[in-house]
Amino acid sequence: MLAPSFILLFALTLYPLIFAVRNAFFYWNLQTSPTPQMFVGLDNFKNAFTFTPFMASLRNTLLISFIGIIIEITIGLFIALALSAKMPYLTFVRALLIMPTTIAPIIVGFMFRYMYWDVTGLIPWLAKTLNIPEPGAGYLGSTATALPAILLADIWQWTPFFAIVLYAAIVSVDSEMIEAARVDGAGGIRVVWSIILPTIKPVVVVIVLLQFMKLFNLFDLVYVLTRGGPGDSTMTLSYSLFQQGLVNFNIGVAAAMTIMIVAILNLLVFIYTKFVMKGSKLS
Amino acid sequence: MRKNTVKKIGIYLFLVLTLILFLGPIVWIFALSIRPPESAFQYPPTLIFKPTLDAFHHVFVSPGIQLRQLFNSIIISLGAVVINLPLSFLAAYALSRFPIKRKGLIMGWYLGLLMAPPVVFLIPYFILMNNIGLSGTHLSIILVLQLITIPFSVWLLKSFIDDIPLEIEEAAQIDGAGTWKILRSITFPLCGPGIIVTTMFAFVFAWNNAIFPIVLSVQKTATIQIGAFSYFGASGVQWSVIGAIAVAAMVVPMIIFLVLDKFVVRGLTFGSVKG
Repeated sequence: MLAPSFILLFALTLYPLIFAVRNAFFYWNLQTSPTPQMFVGLDNFKNAFTFTPFMASLRNTLLISFIGIIIEITIGLFIALALSAKMPYLTFVRALLIMPTTIAPIIVGFMFRYMYWDVTGLIPWLAKTLNIPEPGAGYLGSTATALPAILLADIWQWTPFFAIVLYAAIVSVDSEMIEAARVDGAGGIRVVWSIILPTIKPVVVVIVLLQFMKLFNLFDLVYVLTRGGPGDSTMTLSYSLFQQGLVNFNIGVAAAMTIMIVAILNLLVFIYTKFVMKGSKLS
Repeated sequence: MRKNTVKKIGIYLFLVLTLILFLGPIVWIFALSIRPPESAFQYPPTLIFKPTLDAFHHVFVSPGIQLRQLFNSIIISLGAVVINLPLSFLAAYALSRFPIKRKGLIMGWYLGLLMAPPVVFLIPYFILMNNIGLSGTHLSIILVLQLITIPFSVWLLKSFIDDIPLEIEEAAQIDGAGTWKILRSITFPLCGPGIIVTTMFAFVFAWNNAIFPIVLSVQKTATIQIGAFSYFGASGVQWSVIGAIAVAAMVVPMIIFLVLDKFVVRGLTFGSVKG
């Protein structure tokens, strides 16, 4: 019974794997030839570092992933705690709050491109009203602000996801335990720190992994908002792989990058499951 | 008592601010889609204008280029869930009920597919689809989408099947029913809600995907999600039209999520957190 789906998926994944492993050692530009052109040993790996912004992409990807996770989960936790107060209308708020998360990331990209627009965009206007100096080439066009600007769009889309999942976890915390702690004189912060957080840890561990991967693979927002620029300032691993393989058609270099990206990803997941996820549901 | 009231007002204020920040941009895009084009250039930006449906008319009626893209999105998302459901239901059932060796490894592999960067798969598939003559077809996108929809559906469906008490199936087994009979007349109907929820979420996954059509579609198979790109012209950006396309693309998942409200947490966490 497992077989049909297993075979289909196996075939669907085995093909790209073999493709990457084989072509990583060949020179192949798809514009000049439909088949691999020349065995070049490890040159593609070397070229990935010298002719593509691999290190800049890795740096940006890790920055976005770690900073994004920390901000999203922190704000998400505050919202979740507020939602879990037993007060009227809060379920209504919760149902509406999920909306950003439902939208396609590419559409979020269009939304923010409009909001960052330097003519009448909402964000430049708000910033100007608050006397925040606008970078010369606009928020998306300046090296210093482009990456944070992309990150802001992702934070907007995925913070509600954390808020709502954490809220579901907090609600399931035994309320008698919280009452007992309160009777013993524990304050709000103490209750959150010593009772709520330890109880929801298994959920946190899972959603942090899922969201980390989404951030690590960030592509759509970069594609709509900056295409990796200005310079290499918003290049992510996914985007620069796309650029090598599907814009410049350097299939060999792209295959080498694929192997390195998959290796980095596996290493990160291995470290995470080894040290953080021990005994949790997904391991 | 007094301290409590202050605290309550504080929480409400915080949540109102939260709603403004997270729903404001959506309202802003809805407003854009019914803005007269010249109002998009008004400074400072304003919410006061005479609403018009011109942008929607342009997009869906005349010339109506996006109408076809809307159909493409529907065909591709429906096609993806139709292929996906039987395959993932069988896999989820087997993983939930049978003593399969290395079950954890198989589930981990499915999860790994969900977490892998899609671009990694796209380069080889772009070349393969060209070589086998499927390039630019709906089918090519539907097939590659299975890389996402099957693992997602297996995870979510398994969590629903796990919830069905084993005793019902055991009773049927004692009465002499075979595996297929049990599956067809007991498990499948009992899973009804789970199957509907999973299918709807898988539909949203397929609907919201942009990177596969960006690479694998041609003009006549492009989806609504990527339809807005052609309005960033050299002679200026047609913001109202882009707004209308964005609204059309986002109402579908919004409605599905509102309908599935009770299952949103479960769906978004692939069944691992039961909200």
